[in-house]
Amino acid sequence: MRKYLYIYKSEVMTNLQYIVDILVGFISYCIIIFIFLNLWNYIYSDPSELINGYNMNQMIWYVTITEILWMSISGRKLCRKICNDVRSGNIAYNINKPYNYVEYSLFNHLGVVTIRFVCVFVLGIAMGIIFLRSIPSLNVLQIAGFLLTCLLATVINILLIVAIGLISFFIEDANPFYWLYSKLILVVGTIFPVEFFPGVIQPIIKASPIYVVSYGPARLFVNFETSQFINVIVAQIIYLIISFSICHFIYSKGVKRLNVNGG
Amino acid sequence: MAVITVKNLSKSFKVKTKEKGLKGSLKSIIKTKYKIIKAVKNISFSVEKGEMIAFIGPNGAGKSTSIKMMTGILYPDKGSIDILGLNPVKERKKLAYEIGCVFGQKEQLWTHLTPYDNFRFFGAIYDIPNSRVEKKINELKELFELDDFINTPVRNLSLGQRIRCEIVASLIHEPKILFLDEPTIGLDPVVKENIRVLIKRMNKEYKTTVVLTSHDVSDIEKLCKRVIIVNNGSIVLDDTMENLKYHYLNKKIVDAKMKEQVNLDDEDGITILKDKGYNLKIEVDTKKKSVSDALKLLNPDNIIDINISNVPLEQIISDIYKEGDK
Repeated sequence: MRKYLYIYKSEVMTNLQYIVDILVGFISYCIIIFIFLNLWNYIYSDPSELINGYNMNQMIWYVTITEILWMSISGRKLCRKICNDVRSGNIAYNINKPYNYVEYSLFNHLGVVTIRFVCVFVLGIAMGIIFLRSIPSLNVLQIAGFLLTCLLATVINILLIVAIGLISFFIEDANPFYWLYSKLILVVGTIFPVEFFPGVIQPIIKASPIYVVSYGPARLFVNFETSQFINVIVAQIIYLIISFSICHFIYSKGVKRLNVNGG
Repeated sequence: MAVITVKNLSKSFKVKTKEKGLKGSLKSIIKTKYKIIKAVKNISFSVEKGEMIAFIGPNGAGKSTSIKMMTGILYPDKGSIDILGLNPVKERKKLAYEIGCVFGQKEQLWTHLTPYDNFRFFGAIYDIPNSRVEKKINELKELFELDDFINTPVRNLSLGQRIRCEIVASLIHEPKILFLDEPTIGLDPVVKENIRVLIKRMNKEYKTTVVLTSHDVSDIEKLCKRVIIVNNGSIVLDDTMENLKYHYLNKKIVDAKMKEQVNLDDEDGITILKDKGYNLKIEVDTKKKSVSDALKLLNPDNIIDINISNVPLEQIISDIYKEGDK
C-alpha cells in the first residue's frame, strides 16, 4: 500500500505545480453553475415550490455537487492517457515495475482529482452560499458520510474510466466509449436528479453507475437520510468490487495481446 | 553461474495490413487482413553473473523484443526464459524486484519532481525502508556525481544529467541485472564517455550483470567483453569482443601514396578497394598473405607515404549484419 500512497503523493506534488492552470480551468464551472442558477430561478415561480420532491435551493445544490464531482474527475484526460499508454506501448514501462497498472492508474489519477476536488469544492460551496444565502444543514457526521460517498464515487468513476480505456487492448480507439459513458453521466446523473425521469426508467438509472458516482452523494448533500446513506454506501461497495474486477479482467486478457514494437 | 538462460525463444506479432488507396481502406473495414511478423526466431544464450554483454543488431532485428520478453513485458510464443531462477511470464512482479531497466528513449522519472523525490518514489515502489533508501541515494549520488542537480526538477536537467538519474533510479533497489536499452542515445561524445565510465564503475562496485543494447559501437567496445549480434530475429554471432576482433581484424587496410603508378590486380588475400593511379587502397587478408608480402608487391622503394589500419569495428559489425541477411 505504501507504494500506491507514494504514487498518489507524487501526482499531488506534480499537480501542485499547475495550480494556477487548474484554477483557470474552473471558469467554465462558474459559468455552468451560473446558467443553472438562472434556469432554475426561471422554472421555479416560487423558491419553496416542490418539483419532483426538490425545492429550488435543493435543486441548485444538487447540480452544484454533481458538477463538483464531474469537473474534478477529469475523465477525458484519464481515458486518453490509458488509450495512449496501450496503443503506443508506453504501458510496457509500467509492466516491468512491481505494481499493478490498474492500481497505479487509480492512485495516480486520485492525485489529479484531489487537487481539483479541493479547488472546485471550495469554489462550488462559495458560489452556492453567495447566490442562495443558505446551505443544507448537515452535522459533522453527515458531512463525513457525504465526503466518504464522494470519495467512493470518485474511485468507482476512475475505475470505470480505466476499464473503458483498457478496451484499447482490443480495439483501435476506446475514446468513443468514454464519450458515451460521459454523456450518460452528464445528462442523466448530473443535470437532473433521478426523480425527474419517468417512473419506468428510474429503477434502471438507480441500478446504473449514475446512482453511485453522481446521484447518490449529491442527494445526500441536499437531503441526508441515514437509510439513503446506507443504500448508497452498499451500492458503492458493490460497484467498487464490480469495477475493480472488470478492470483486472480486461487488463489480464489485454496484456497478453500487447504489441510493443521498436526500440 | 548463469543468471540469464534463454532457450529456443520465439515471438511473432500480428500486424494489420491494408491494400493501398481508398478502396483498400474500405475493404479493410469489411475484412481485416493480418500479416505475421516473426520478430524473434528460436534464440538461445546464457549470461553469467557480473558479465556485461552487448545485445546488438540493426533496427527491427528483434533485440528490444527479446529484452522485453526477458523483463516480463512481452509474452513469448515459444521457448523458455530463466532470469535468476524466475520465469518472467509467471513471476513478473517478483522479477521486477531483481532487475532494473533503463530505456534511453523513454523517461521513467517524474519530470516535475526532483531526482531526489524520484529516488524516494522508486524506493517506495520497491518496498525499501526509508532509512535504506536514504543511504542508497547518498551512495549513488557520490558514484554518479549528482550533487549539483539532485534537487533540480528533472524537466530542467540536461539529457546527460537525466540519463544519469535514470540509471540511478533503476539502481535504487539494488538489482542483480540491469538492462540498458540504448542508454547513450542522443548524448554528445563527452557525456557518452562519462556515462560509460559510470556504468563500468557500477559494474565493478556492485557486480551487477549488465545487458546493453546500443547502436554506438564505442559503447559496446568500451563496456562489454561479450557481444551477441541479432539480425532478422536470429542470433548471427555470440562471441567475446576479443574473438570478434581477432577473427575479423585479420584484415588490414593499406593506404599508400606511390611515386609511380602501380598495376596491381586482385589476387588471393588482396582486394583492391581504390586505385587512383598514385593513390592505392587495398585490403590484405593476413590469414592468406602477410602485410610484408603485400608491401613487396607494391615495391617499398616506390612508396611515398603509407598507413596500415584495422577495419573499423562499425564496418565489421555491419558486415556481420549483411551476412545475417544472406
